[in-house]
Amino acid sequence: MAEVTATDGWEPKIVAIVCNWCTYAGADLAGISRIQYPPNVRIVRLPCTGRINPFYVMKALHEGADGVLVSGCHPGECHYLTGNYSARRKFAMLKRYLSYIGLEPDRTIFTWCSASEGERFAKVIKGVTEKVKALGPAKKLVKTL
Amino acid sequence: MENVEKKIREEAKKLLADKKVDVVIGYERGTLPLTATPCFITDENDADKLVYDATCVQNLAKYVHDIISAHREAQKKVKPEDKKKKVVGIVARGCTSRSLVIQLQERQYGRDDIVIIGVPCEGYIDSKKIAAVTAGEEILDGTIAGGQVAVKTAGGEKKLALNDVLADNCLTCRFNNPVISDIMTGDPAPAKDADKEYEKVEAFEKLSTEERWNYFVKEMGKCIRCYACRNACPSCYCKICFVEQSMPQFVGLSADQTDTQVFQLLRTFHMVGRCVDCGSCISVCPMGVDLRNFLKKLDKDALELFENRAGAKMEDVPPLSTYRENDKEDFIYNP
Repeated sequence: MAEVTATDGWEPKIVAIVCNWCTYAGADLAGISRIQYPPNVRIVRLPCTGRINPFYVMKALHEGADGVLVSGCHPGECHYLTGNYSARRKFAMLKRYLSYIGLEPDRTIFTWCSASEGERFAKVIKGVTEKVKALGPAKKLVKTL
Repeated sequence: MENVEKKIREEAKKLLADKKVDVVIGYERGTLPLTATPCFITDENDADKLVYDATCVQNLAKYVHDIISAHREAQKKVKPEDKKKKVVGIVARGCTSRSLVIQLQERQYGRDDIVIIGVPCEGYIDSKKIAAVTAGEEILDGTIAGGQVAVKTAGGEKKLALNDVLADNCLTCRFNNPVISDIMTGDPAPAKDADKEYEKVEAFEKLSTEERWNYFVKEMGKCIRCYACRNACPSCYCKICFVEQSMPQFVGLSADQTDTQVFQLLRTFHMVGRCVDCGSCISVCPMGVDLRNFLKKLDKDALELFENRAGAKMEDVPPLSTYRENDKEDFIYNP
């Protein structure tokens, strides 16, 4: 990913780490409903947002992702009851910390999207892609060697 | 401080003589002037080696975990009827006791595995601050008395106010008395300037994104990845550290600057709700990386978001292993 540099036709690469039960199903619904959304996103499916180690987000940025999206069930709707509550705490800390060290806050985005929200999923992807496009290619923390 | 030292020796002697502990972890005089080094006393006659003053820097909680986990490992090969318990006595000031609380909260050992000899603390000397005053000249002799540090170098003798050479974390320390202890030596130490705890972090937050990033790059550029910070940290006790892990490999080992940046980022992020600001990582850093600026931010956020101060109370639950239904959600993106 890292060798892609800014050119006129630059398109961001966004890693979406999503939970199996809500957002992944939501993405599925968006597909089934034939809702268009930008193809910049690469989806990684995990059992639950609580399963997501904050290291994954930093690793994705390190490997050259222009943006990272984390999405799971709405609070209170977790398949495992409380997974997304713990995730929310981790990501509240992570987002603040990454902004603090000087990373653009819009590179890491957290949201909730349920299985019935195909439309919302498409909107989120559109929004995230626009945000990351506005920032340009990622340079900070990206491994080049 | 003299009395505290005497009391520590007495208590250590008593504990060892009564066979209440197998080892006492404390500080002894270092081989260089104005230094103290961790020591492990197993014989009551050696207890007079123990010292306690502003030269005692390292957080000893690290060794408690090391000793107990090594002992447990060794006990695996012993027949059930021959199994022995090992009790560790430890000289603990405020930050050390907080680290012990964290290790206890994380169920690393039981409360009955340790005996805490609490000491009041008035801060320790930052050797880098002294080196700055003596312009790097070798210190030939040094004494601390009455709030002053006398430093003798080849160029002559200098007298410094103790407050000017105390470590940054000690100047704004909120917990300079142990939060838990079995035996308390001496009267509680006077409070420090704890209200200014987050002053530097707040100033840093006000800088622009680029300024902050440049500072981060500059500081991490100094890091040579000797892992001294990790090895000195009482909260870094994983059997396999993510740095040495290869499946998955979170951080590369190349000379690429970003590898170092990511290493520091990941290590510091492991300290959410676990960093007690003891300054051990900073004191052992050979390159003088400003780690505190970043660790303190995590501390501040955990307090703001979850009202948690790492290791402040035994009853607390580590902030990332619990949740509240109404936790702040302002960072969630809503298109």
